Amino acid sequence: MTAGDSLTTADAVPAASDPYAQRVAAPPVRFLYALNPLAKLAAPLPVMLLLIFVRDVATPVAFLVLSYAILLVGVSFTRRLVALLAALPVAALVIALGFSLWTDASRVDQSVAVVQLGSWTLYGGALAIGLATGLRLAAIVALTLMAGLSTTGPDLVRATVQQLRVPYRIGYTALAAFRFVPRFGHELDVIRQAHRVRGAHGGRGPFAAVARWFGYVVPLMAGAIRHAERVALAMDARAFGAHPDRTERHLVPFRARDVVFIVLFWATAAALFWIFFPWGLA
Amino acid sequence: MTSPERDPSAALAADSAVPLVRVRDLAITHDGEITAAPASISFDIAAGEVVLLLGPSGSGKSTLTLALNGLIPHAVPAEVTGSVEVDGVETTATTVAELSTRVAMVFQDPDAQLVTGTLLDEVAFGPENLRMPVAEVLERAESALRRVGLWERRTENPDRLSGGGRQRLAIACALAMGSPLLVLDEPTANLDPRGIEEVYAALAELVRSGDRAILLVEHNLDAAVGFVDRVVVLDQDGRLTADGTVDEVLRDRADELHEMGVWLPVSGIAALRLRRAGYALDPLPLTPAELHAGLEAAEAPAAGVSSRFARSTTGPGTAPPPVVERRSAATAPPPVVERRSAATAPPPVVERGSAGTGPPPVVERRSAGTGPPPVVERRSAATGPPPVVERGSAATETKRAPVITVRDLTLRRGRVEVLHGVSLDIAAGDFVAVVGPNGAGKTSLIQALAGVVPPPRGTVHVDGLDVGRSDARTLSSRIGFVFQNPEHQFIAHTVFDEVAHGLRLRHLPDDEVRERTMALLDRFGLAAKAGTHPFLLSGGQKRRLSVGTALVAGAPVLVLDEPTFGQDRARADELLRLLGELNAEGTTVIVVTHDMQLVTEYARRTIVLADGRLLAAGATADVFGDSDLIERAGLRLPPLRRALHGLVRHPGLAGTVRLADLPDAAAGGLP
Repeated sequence: MTAGDSLTTADAVPAASDPYAQRVAAPPVRFLYALNPLAKLAAPLPVMLLLIFVRDVATPVAFLVLSYAILLVGVSFTRRLVALLAALPVAALVIALGFSLWTDASRVDQSVAVVQLGSWTLYGGALAIGLATGLRLAAIVALTLMAGLSTTGPDLVRATVQQLRVPYRIGYTALAAFRFVPRFGHELDVIRQAHRVRGAHGGRGPFAAVARWFGYVVPLMAGAIRHAERVALAMDARAFGAHPDRTERHLVPFRARDVVFIVLFWATAAALFWIFFPWGLA
Repeated sequence: MTSPERDPSAALAADSAVPLVRVRDLAITHDGEITAAPASISFDIAAGEVVLLLGPSGSGKSTLTLALNGLIPHAVPAEVTGSVEVDGVETTATTVAELSTRVAMVFQDPDAQLVTGTLLDEVAFGPENLRMPVAEVLERAESALRRVGLWERRTENPDRLSGGGRQRLAIACALAMGSPLLVLDEPTANLDPRGIEEVYAALAELVRSGDRAILLVEHNLDAAVGFVDRVVVLDQDGRLTADGTVDEVLRDRADELHEMGVWLPVSGIAALRLRRAGYALDPLPLTPAELHAGLEAAEAPAAGVSSRFARSTTGPGTAPPPVVERRSAATAPPPVVERRSAATAPPPVVERGSAGTGPPPVVERRSAGTGPPPVVERRSAATGPPPVVERGSAATETKRAPVITVRDLTLRRGRVEVLHGVSLDIAAGDFVAVVGPNGAGKTSLIQALAGVVPPPRGTVHVDGLDVGRSDARTLSSRIGFVFQNPEHQFIAHTVFDEVAHGLRLRHLPDDEVRERTMALLDRFGLAAKAGTHPFLLSGGQKRRLSVGTALVAGAPVLVLDEPTFGQDRARADELLRLLGELNAEGTTVIVVTHDMQLVTEYARRTIVLADGRLLAAGATADVFGDSDLIERAGLRLPPLRRALHGLVRHPGLAGTVRLADLPDAAAGGLP
């Protein structure tokens, strides 16, 4: 699923073994699985956009808590979920520290000095900015996880075709292209081995590395194009694209519950934004 | 292998019906090509008929299959003259989608035919595209999956199937289209022996039910010949030269076809040879079982029958049969020749004494103008070390100092141990095959030998060098590795630089680099292509270049990973001939392969791996003489071995595993 859903590529989860596997049946309380993928994307999208402009600490924390609550109830409790939920705050802290070092000290609140090393001082204001940035990113990622952890790539494609009227030729071709990814990964490994055996190392350092990677591109692309052509012929031979639409065996309906979910989520979000206004912008 | 009996009445009934496909004067010229292949052919396919399409490589077989369902000219640009009618409709006048309900395709590469995430979705993909109601989609998918025996696994990801399983899935997908004609283009070329068997079992099942016509392009005739009704043969120039029943074409005109470069079943080639040696084999056997039965029924030739008399039994008008040349490459290395020229040129015969002065070797046609004829030198080089494979010398071979020693090699990939305590020696100048079922650790073993994957220190020595401690540059002067796909290892922008790279790494003076590179390009028939980008070479040229680059640093050992995988027989043959030559000049050659007949023809020694352990290592004849061992390793006996094993009437033949070891009129006086 992670390989299939571009929204979750941001998190560093090891790819699930089978991006196409049918999801095991979950109890009804794990409600996210039963929602339309588009609903799960549409609900948090405006919030994510707004969060980009937020500057305080409290607002992102509130949304972090909200999405954690939804995730804990809405998707199956797996080791992967726990790992993700644990990793996210850690990542936020790391980013916080990084940003606080990076911040221009002359432009922040210099009332509290947290660390002093010789002439260099880490001020509390810098730390606050770093923390806000880290939490903001964490909150946005956590919101994407609602769709990311409960949706399969094929379902997302079906929903875009069925509700958004994306031409199925594009949607299903993209789906077929996901199959290429592991294949190319393997091919790249072999090419790297082959070049190493040839002694095409070219030395150490970043420039040699770039040159080396360029060397991999030609054989990789040659293989990719040939493979893509073959797949295209095979799809044509099975009448792909013959008609303006095709039979949909798996319907991904957009139901009342999807509307309810979106409305409830937006209402909650509006309330949170209202409470924490002006989000550190003032 | 399965070879179900066909009910002949089915074919007869089919003959009278309206043809499903009518091809008239069809000529196809691909964009960017000059000559048409196929060129002006006409034939029909009737409902329910099973047709085998044969022809040397380059005769346009694959092109023809693409034209049958309209992919040419609708999806692949090409100039088409003549006509293809499917059910009375011109393919040019309709769409590929429309035609897909009449003609379904199965391609060579099973991976390139997968689109979706489960078997069921995959099979349903075609009917869904045809906008069938869900109930009918499911019904078709179920019946198609059941016919190939995959219904139980319908919820799985196709990636989890073996190669044979994925190709069966592709057949199911074609069946689900509901088309009366199934076109299969080399469906087993990318499979291991077990996968090939699976696919043929599925095909045999289809043929037995008789509801679909099948057009099969295939090189692996030993399996196919059992159930085809008709054989259509294209010649080198893409013209139709034969169209008739298996008896009319394969049995009666075998000599002629063989000369044209059409691959015959190994049993057929063996039978031609035995006929010349005086065995009365009539009709010509084509499968191992037929050859076995035929030999049991045949008299042994009277001692002293001269070759001339023996030859006359083949019938009138046969040219000196070329069977020997192609196969005997190991004993008398002919020059590097592209198959197409070999087929048309006078066979590069054969009297031993004249080898050096004989007819000038055929150099590949395109480069003939500027062409490098260094072959004569090569011949003389070959006179140095004795040309391969005298069985008697096998004993002395083993006494030679080993060039590779492996001691207690254990190798891990990630957390999995793929080789467990392998120990073996490989003698200098040997020709070794590494065989075993998928996942046995064959590739891991040879990668460890060549340092592609570094082995633990002290476990592998090549020419006295500890592979585990050596860097790539040093290793490349001791052992060359050729990957399965030659393109993977090309690193330069011209063929010249590609070869020169290995020498420049060693900081040789420019003059010497140039000289040695050109000499090597000459040697491999690539001199005319020195300025070309390696990716623009033909398949056979790429392969030769990859072998050349592995050898340029002077490595005395050459290791090849499945060099014949996914290639047609002609190209595989060309490569093996090249390897035979190199071996005759003293290079130690180690190949991993699935092709058991190829192993027995060329390799002097065979290493059998199973589950990461060494099961056996010994003279090829001994290894394949032990049917138990082969069975235990999960391998299949090569067809010739299957045919000759346990012959009661001719005990002298029973132990033979190589075509070259069969008695033959022309080779009567040879060891």
